[in-house]
Amino acid sequence: MRLLLITLLVASCAAQVKLPPYTKHTLPNGVTLLLMPRSELPLTTVTAVFRGGAEAEPVAGLASVTAELLERGTPTKSTEQIALAFDSLGATLNTRATDSTVTIATEFLSRDSSAALPLLAELVQQPTFPEDEVKKVLAQYLDAARALRDNPQAALGVAYRRFFYGPGHPYARPLSGDESSLPKITRASIVDFQKRMLVGRNLTVVAIGNFTTSGLLPQLTAAFAALPAGTAYQPIADPGIARAAKPRLLLIDKPDATQTYFFIGQPGIKRGDADQVPLQLVNTLFGGRFTSMLNDELRVNTGLTYGANSRLDLNRLTGGIAISSFTKTETTERTIDLALGLLKKLNETGLAANGLKSAKAYTKGLFPADRLETNEQLTQVLTEIELYGLNRGEIDDLFSKIDSITLERANAVAKARYRTDGLVFVLLGNAAKIRDSVRKYAADFTEMPIAKLGLEP
Amino acid sequence: MLRFFAVAWLAALLLPAQNLAMKKHVLANGMTVIIHEDHDIPNVALYFFYKVGSRNEKPGTTGVSHFFEHMMFNGAKKYGPKQFDIVMEDNGGRNNGYTTRDVTAYQDWFAKPALNLILDMEADRIRDLAFDPKLVESERGVVYSERRLSVDNSPDGALDEQLWAAAFTAHTYAWSPIGWPSDIEGWTMADLKEHFSMGYAPNNCVLVMSGDVTEAEALALAKKHLETIPRRAGPPPVRTKEPEQKGERRVVLNRPAELPLQMFAFHVPATSHADTPAIELLTTVLAQGRSSRLEQRLVEREQLALTVQAFTNEAIDPTLWNFYIQPRAGIKTEQTEAALYSEFERVAKMPVDDAQLRKAKSQYLASFYRQMKTLGGKAGLIGGFEIFHGDAARLNDWPAKIEKLTAADLQRVAKAYLTEQNRTVATLVPTKESTKE
Repeated sequence: MRLLLITLLVASCAAQVKLPPYTKHTLPNGVTLLLMPRSELPLTTVTAVFRGGAEAEPVAGLASVTAELLERGTPTKSTEQIALAFDSLGATLNTRATDSTVTIATEFLSRDSSAALPLLAELVQQPTFPEDEVKKVLAQYLDAARALRDNPQAALGVAYRRFFYGPGHPYARPLSGDESSLPKITRASIVDFQKRMLVGRNLTVVAIGNFTTSGLLPQLTAAFAALPAGTAYQPIADPGIARAAKPRLLLIDKPDATQTYFFIGQPGIKRGDADQVPLQLVNTLFGGRFTSMLNDELRVNTGLTYGANSRLDLNRLTGGIAISSFTKTETTERTIDLALGLLKKLNETGLAANGLKSAKAYTKGLFPADRLETNEQLTQVLTEIELYGLNRGEIDDLFSKIDSITLERANAVAKARYRTDGLVFVLLGNAAKIRDSVRKYAADFTEMPIAKLGLEP
Repeated sequence: MLRFFAVAWLAALLLPAQNLAMKKHVLANGMTVIIHEDHDIPNVALYFFYKVGSRNEKPGTTGVSHFFEHMMFNGAKKYGPKQFDIVMEDNGGRNNGYTTRDVTAYQDWFAKPALNLILDMEADRIRDLAFDPKLVESERGVVYSERRLSVDNSPDGALDEQLWAAAFTAHTYAWSPIGWPSDIEGWTMADLKEHFSMGYAPNNCVLVMSGDVTEAEALALAKKHLETIPRRAGPPPVRTKEPEQKGERRVVLNRPAELPLQMFAFHVPATSHADTPAIELLTTVLAQGRSSRLEQRLVEREQLALTVQAFTNEAIDPTLWNFYIQPRAGIKTEQTEAALYSEFERVAKMPVDDAQLRKAKSQYLASFYRQMKTLGGKAGLIGGFEIFHGDAARLNDWPAKIEKLTAADLQRVAKAYLTEQNRTVATLVPTKESTKE
């Protein structure tokens, strides 16, 4: 089906791509099923997505640990037997928590659905959380949290979330927990989270692959019909992000670091915001591709770094916009100064018409390969549509939305969203060498040794 | 029983279904062009593989292949500095490049209408690359930053560099493609020019075109843009052969870290060797998936390690079979090491049972086919088989080679390669972090 559609597109890269057809079904226990048949490869991907995730956890890491433990014990199977069952089919099995979901996914040869689906359903519906597995997983997570300090970029990411979102915000917590949160997780808290969150009314099952809907629907229905309906998760209201009155800076000291890694953040938007499409175009030009303003200046013109970019969070709750780069210790100040100069330039001068035209062509040209090529990409698209209350217009109307963005609109968004006041800086590097030069960015200055990262109360 | 069906089906059904159709042509100047038509999405992946990498370098200019990869984006005759990226992005495309010990690869992904333009830009830089001294200096800074990111400030990168340096005493695989710091600081314009004229001959290049093209139009465009580039000598053969290792080598890296890290390497033949399928499948038995032997033993049952990985690299010359272990906190590296060796002994002494063999084949073949999910994945597979196995078409015979393997084949390669005398061990020993400068 997609083949036909796409053949028509060859004439022009700007022609609208369409989301392949899919159907939606609801089971009596509230489970939503989304089925999208595709025939390219003899593989089927089935993903169980529970609403809630880390934003619904009382302690950091609980959602991730619970997800991990779904593949570690049912009334009939041990961890090893579960792994053996999937590995023997040549199937993958992945569990994870995000800020707003707990997911468990498998990809198997389409022919094996009658073996793989009941296995997946057993993990989803009958986890036993054996005490020894709980202990093992918590100990592994604790070691991983410590090892995080050996990886500057990952450590910076965790520190940035905490500092940017601030106390009490669910996105401030490290998804995998840390040394102060993990010891608080018990088997009882895991069971409680599972009983409360992993219920029918929170579950969407996305199936994409080489099957017929009439063939797979009864199998999926049978597999997930027994899940208790439970109570639908009531998501917390978006607390938003207030722009700081004064810039804030956190410096994490890693004395052996030979380069400084940094984020410079400010408030952004949430997924589905009216400014989303123009903001994505502006961000592409500011720091979302190789020729972007940031990468062009910090990498291409000056050779200060291997890469510089601007990240735009698009989650259920309002997120941030963050400049991100790294440079050798000695050029820390120069690099940050240049980045801030570009931010100011974008805010004051805006974009040129040919830049906007280029961002549009870039986004549309790569969109099929970025979002519609694999089962995993399409699963992500359908999950977002379901999770954020969107519809297929997200894809089907995207190109016309992009085309309709005028230079005035893009520049208004750039002006409003890319500001130079109230910025949040998080730096990781050799503090003894950079402390004095980076103080100027924020009167509100905090320093912390890397050994303390993850031990905050 | 279920497992048996799964495997039988893989062999009987998936194989014919997944034969990757391709057409290979050799242009008059010796450039190999392989075309794979796929009309699933309106996009194209173009991968250029130049058979030149850090294996073709000399002490003093290590890392120059990788540096050169960066310089290929800094302007040519028709498309000046920055134009390659600007024009590509203006037209709905994105690119990247990577350098290994054996190849330098350039990847372009773009909307189909840009095909003619992208080939024009690629031909321009292969034919008439410019060497602007100012850009050389700024790019040197970029590459050094990449080294600091991936090696100097990365426990894995730093230890891996030491591992290869210890395992190879003669062959140029000893250094990593990023190059030694003093060489990064020292490359000259002459080094760059020499590298270009050596490596970037059209007859030293494999081009894979994968995506929404027809064979006829893709070939015609490749000819139009690339066929007139003159043939050149190409890199001289790498003569040095690594002598057989006659005893264990150990290397220690002291650096601030939370946890130790261990890397074990064993010399194995080049990818084109007949033992490669058995080595690949034994790697799967040992370390792919939670049910694999090393995961079960080290991570799950004895809880000695946080992670275990095993892999080989595609390589033109004899290479390494690598095992990485991240020990758990409080575990002595001697414990993880002993457990690893006892699993090696087990596969050498006792044939893998039928169920495990079948499981490993299912896992291996399923992940082999998973590489075909994207246009880029297919281009990578095709190029890899053309260069490292001698013919891209062999990728369609590869599953059958895996299917045919017996427990005895796996036992044989375990005995042949996973030995003490053939072993190099690199250990990262954490030191207390100094708070002084």
